[in-house]
Amino acid sequence: MKIEKIIKEFMEKGEITDFELRGDKRIFVRIKPEKLKSVIEKLVSSGFRHLITITGVDVGNEIELLYHLSMGGRIVSVRTLVPKDKPIIATITDIIPGAILYEREVHDLIGVIFEGCNNLSRLVLSEDWPDNIYPLRRH
Amino acid sequence: MSIIEVPIGPQHPALKEPLNFTFEVEGERVVGVKFRLGYNHRGIEKLAETKNYIQNTLLSARVCGICTYAHTTCYTTTVEKLMGVDIPERAQYIRVVMAELERIHSHLLWLGVMMHEIGFDTLFMYYWRDREQILDLFEIITGSRVQHAMNTVGGVRRDITQEEMKIVMKSMDRLEKRMKYYKNVTLRERTIRIRSEDVGILKPEDAIALCAVGPTLRASKIKSDVRFDDPYVAYDRVSFEVCTGDGYDVFSRILVRIDEVFESIRIIRQALEGMPSGAIRIKVPMRAEGEVVGRVEAPRGELMYYIRGDGTSKPYRVKIRTPTLANIPALCKMLEGCYIADIPAIIASIDPCIACMDRITILRNDKIEVWNWNELRRYGIKWYGKH
Repeated sequence: MKIEKIIKEFMEKGEITDFELRGDKRIFVRIKPEKLKSVIEKLVSSGFRHLITITGVDVGNEIELLYHLSMGGRIVSVRTLVPKDKPIIATITDIIPGAILYEREVHDLIGVIFEGCNNLSRLVLSEDWPDNIYPLRRH
Repeated sequence: MSIIEVPIGPQHPALKEPLNFTFEVEGERVVGVKFRLGYNHRGIEKLAETKNYIQNTLLSARVCGICTYAHTTCYTTTVEKLMGVDIPERAQYIRVVMAELERIHSHLLWLGVMMHEIGFDTLFMYYWRDREQILDLFEIITGSRVQHAMNTVGGVRRDITQEEMKIVMKSMDRLEKRMKYYKNVTLRERTIRIRSEDVGILKPEDAIALCAVGPTLRASKIKSDVRFDDPYVAYDRVSFEVCTGDGYDVFSRILVRIDEVFESIRIIRQALEGMPSGAIRIKVPMRAEGEVVGRVEAPRGELMYYIRGDGTSKPYRVKIRTPTLANIPALCKMLEGCYIADIPAIIASIDPCIACMDRITILRNDKIEVWNWNELRRYGIKWYGKH
């Protein structure tokens, strides 16, 4: 299915709040965090099966998460915000098993908790790294 | 939230990175795999936030020594897109030539290492001897064998002269002959086939679900290559095949990389012949705003940079996803149910950091033995001598 059609469906159903096409190869969509699983599921079943990575960005009071999914040359970046004082979002490892390391990396470095992920142990930080300090947070 | 002074950021899983695996074995079979990353965690993403766009070119070059050109190409093309500038055509062609030379040197390095892991050290020496001529070409073109300092935001820093082109062409002819010989040896030599056929199976559906990339993915018969799917610099102006294998095993991964060297030679010839004249770099603004997702096909697979600018001279966020990290879940799948003796060949087959796996814990009969990589390698060769 064409991405334009998928996005149109998403918009009609209210799954996404906003989208942006940049050229014909890059698409950014904005969603509410509770819609994450259904949006990712729909994208995966439409052919966007390759998760490139999950990017976490500290944007002040919130943490922005970007899930970059690709099919061929196109990349859809699904953008969502979680509050910094309660950075919890559902895991997508049940939909894309390859997401496990990216979730652990984001958990380690920016402190997002992926609910339902069966392994959120330290991936890159050392064992003696203090709890509740996340190197990629800015404030 | 306190301010962090220590430069710690995401790890970079490239060659020589220390990585720890824990294998749970039952007899000779591996039943579970655990691993630990981060021993070479240098905080590059955090550090990138403190440097300007030009300085970060040098930083990205130092993420990895083997695929340094892939990193700077990905970084510079992403930043150029962020700044909204188009680099001169000649620079795009030079980037293609350099990137393919790097792919050849990386693949030859890997092929040598792979042969070493299965105990075929003669071929290891041969491969590395032929790799030398690529390093010599780097030295002729850039003045440096490893860190080329060739890319900059806005183009490349050195031109390739007519004379240098002739040397590269000659070298490619020589290399093509050698590669034909290697392919022949690989297809006929029993030692290689016994150690690599049906070893480390990764089925296509697993490769997709676990988000594998690069030659690891292509050896599982998935036709996916960033150069082809999402062309950058001048890759849309050269023709080449995306090499795939259908054995899903270590042997397939060897053949895919040998075939890719042939394709790289083809690309280099086309790029040199079709190289337009003109400038090699342009001036770029020092500030950038917005966000761009950029990716290139590094020797090990898809490499991705996400860069966000806030209008200042320094990026707000630089996210790097290297191909080895993407291939780790697939590697764990390959290792499930394998023989202990096959571990070195399987781990090497995704082309990760070899020195990374500096320690391996064997849990046997509740006793813990710690082996280093060399001991494990020797065990593998000895075991196959008996079986």
